[in-house]
Amino acid sequence: MPTELVVVPGVVPAGRTTTVIARRTARRAVRSGVLWGYVFAVYVASTALTFASTYKTAAQRERLAALYGSNAAVSALVGPPHQIQTVAGFTVWKCLTTLAIVGAVWGALTGTRLLRGEEEAGRWELMLSGRTTRRGATAQALAGLGAGFVALWAVTALVTAVVGRSSTVAIGVGPALFFALATVSGAAVFLAVGALTSQLVPTRRQASAYAGAALGVSYALRMVADSGAGLGWLRWASPLGWIEELQPLTSPHPDALLPVVVLTAGLAGLAVHLAGRRDVGASTFPDRPAARPHTALLNGPAGLALRLSRPTLLGWGAAVAAMGLLSGVVAKSAGRALSASTSVEKVISRLGGSGSGSDAYLGVAFLITAVLVAFVAAGQVGAARSEESGGRLDALMARPVRRWSWLGGRLGLATGAVVATGLVAAVAAWLGALSQHSQVRFVGLIGGGLNTVPPALCVLGIGVLVLGVWPRATVMATYGVIAWSFLVEIVGGTVNANHWLLDTSVFHQMAAAPAVAPDWASAGALVALGALGAAVGTFAFSRRDLVGE
Amino acid sequence: MGVAAIRTEGLSKRYGSVDALKDLDLEVVESEVLGYLGPNGAGKTTTIRLLLGLARPSAGRAEIFGLDCQRESVAAHGRLAYVPGEANLWPSLTGTETLHLLGRVQGQVDAAYREELVTRFDLDTSKKVRTYSKGNRQKLILIAALMTRADLLLLDEPTSGLDPLMEQAFRHSVHEAKGRGQTIFLSSHILSEVEALCDRVGILRDGRLVDLGTLTQMRHLSALTVEATFDGTVPDLARVPGVTSVTVEGRVVRCQVRGSVEPLLKVLAASGVHELLSREPSLEELFLAHYGAGDPTDGAPVRAD
Repeated sequence: MPTELVVVPGVVPAGRTTTVIARRTARRAVRSGVLWGYVFAVYVASTALTFASTYKTAAQRERLAALYGSNAAVSALVGPPHQIQTVAGFTVWKCLTTLAIVGAVWGALTGTRLLRGEEEAGRWELMLSGRTTRRGATAQALAGLGAGFVALWAVTALVTAVVGRSSTVAIGVGPALFFALATVSGAAVFLAVGALTSQLVPTRRQASAYAGAALGVSYALRMVADSGAGLGWLRWASPLGWIEELQPLTSPHPDALLPVVVLTAGLAGLAVHLAGRRDVGASTFPDRPAARPHTALLNGPAGLALRLSRPTLLGWGAAVAAMGLLSGVVAKSAGRALSASTSVEKVISRLGGSGSGSDAYLGVAFLITAVLVAFVAAGQVGAARSEESGGRLDALMARPVRRWSWLGGRLGLATGAVVATGLVAAVAAWLGALSQHSQVRFVGLIGGGLNTVPPALCVLGIGVLVLGVWPRATVMATYGVIAWSFLVEIVGGTVNANHWLLDTSVFHQMAAAPAVAPDWASAGALVALGALGAAVGTFAFSRRDLVGE
Repeated sequence: MGVAAIRTEGLSKRYGSVDALKDLDLEVVESEVLGYLGPNGAGKTTTIRLLLGLARPSAGRAEIFGLDCQRESVAAHGRLAYVPGEANLWPSLTGTETLHLLGRVQGQVDAAYREELVTRFDLDTSKKVRTYSKGNRQKLILIAALMTRADLLLLDEPTSGLDPLMEQAFRHSVHEAKGRGQTIFLSSHILSEVEALCDRVGILRDGRLVDLGTLTQMRHLSALTVEATFDGTVPDLARVPGVTSVTVEGRVVRCQVRGSVEPLLKVLAASGVHELLSREPSLEELFLAHYGAGDPTDGAPVRAD
């Protein structure tokens, strides 16, 4: 150690400051990676365990395989089935492409949030005034993202390996690790895509949109390749196709990892290169800072809220529509497979259902849609709070605008958005089912779509209540309600949980429409609860200080 | 006498155990320009947020044109315009869109004056707010307030981030508003700004109003800090008329002068002064000189920069 290096107490030695961006990014990426690893793990574990316990006999499994093996539409949506009469094969088929897409969305959002998002917020500039270059900083941030990716993989791998030890599942540790790696490789590619689009455009929102478009193209290419139209070679044009080719657990091809690694490294390298060629805060693509004024909506707080929320709401609408369409297309085959299983029949009859297999499948699918619709509600509460915490609400509240009328306008918008999203899911599912000539009634599906609204309105009301009485906890509490409820539903479905515990979930009182008729009494109770929360919250909000972060 | 533009009675605000504002009794008459001076954290912004009803008082009450700031805030807001020290606006809207929105929400806009202000402040309103510098965002929110021609302007350190040229444009606009009989409440920590614009000055320190009066009454505040470096022996400046707070460091003498500088200049000229520096004292220095040393809110010594 050189003797001239004097460490002054409270002053960080120069060598350490160079990794501050990497450590900062890593901290946030790892937190998110662990959380999503947990989601991945729950999905994989529940798929494997449910299959093992539902389809017990070889005959049931063969019948399932025969049904799906010949369905081109299902292959196009979630990838071709390999050995799905086995637990391993079914788990891969059910999880791999789905989780690759979820991981890709996570990667794109995390990459753009921690690169362009930080830069847009001005925090990047602060760091760059320290001892690092723009390229160095970007490389550090990428290293931080890498740590998040490792966390995602580690949690997924750990749980898969543990579940694999179960005698009914029986997946070895080595294959489990490789399977987990395959499911998270979509995340790796799209973390790098997010890092690259962060260099190209000036806002986080645009960067996410570009990354989302890249994902859409990848998915579409893979979909065409798997549609059985003799275009299988197209699989090699899409990162999602490479992930399919990995075929973990069934007939592993680790060599398909090569293009994944090369593309990820290439995109990351390009991002670092471009970061050095532009100014901080600027973009590689020419920015269009000016725009023609569009003032049609800007006549008051409610119009402003609509204008600001429009891109997000359209995004949610598209996501829910895609999901609805997918459920509709799969409903017929999936329903037939469900009917073939006596234990599933029992579950449906316990729920009070007597509908067809397709209806039963859609009933389950709409429970997932309900979670997405609740996210729309939570997002609106979060947006209202961010107007306040960002100080932008001051500009409205210092003018002749009543507190309750501002919040009421936002509540109205959120309610409209929630109802519209539920209906979009219903119509999309109906169109999907129609394409497969399924016997699904339109009215029943509209009921199923509207049935997703009450839990979301309950979340909305709880969010407004917290916004009124404890503003700084708003975002955490609102998303917390959804996360808790979802957890209770997953855990409660596999163990005999106490009904008091189950009742704390906003989704628990929801009937699985269209499999069974919507329970409008419970739905009414959820809406009333939400309305009460919203009323108390609005009252409290009107009588408190506006507070920042 | 008509209704006061602003009237507060025992207005107080506590945050936890800290008194951000304590027992403020203040009256601002119509068409008056009141300067509201104090160092950072003295309670200026708290006062304005209470007047706007953005925060609720812990005790006391406030009125704007006879309208209660909490219960009748919407009616009160119809007669005032507010400029915050930090312009938080919607990044995705352009300047034009922002002005349109804020004008519609306010419900009253002098469109011709708005165009004049945009030209005066030299602002390109076709750009999105996210591309604006801090100064440009401040211009935008200033224009949004001034274009309403409201009866009362509540300005909270409105010139932060403006360059000197734009500060001139701001002063011009305030004079214009004053000429039209608008009442102005100008919070600031810049003494010269308040001196140039205000009829009366209130001084706030640690949440309390410690002084309130006309500029002539506050003349004792306008001192000059002089720093002189001598070639040879340092003369005794303490006896020179108008000179106070003399400190000596080697051959450098620092002092404050009130009233005419002539007696001091005579002494300096006779003593072989090598270098002479004079400037307006910072508000902190004045506070140190007039309202006692130290800042009890954080216990740190007051900086004299």
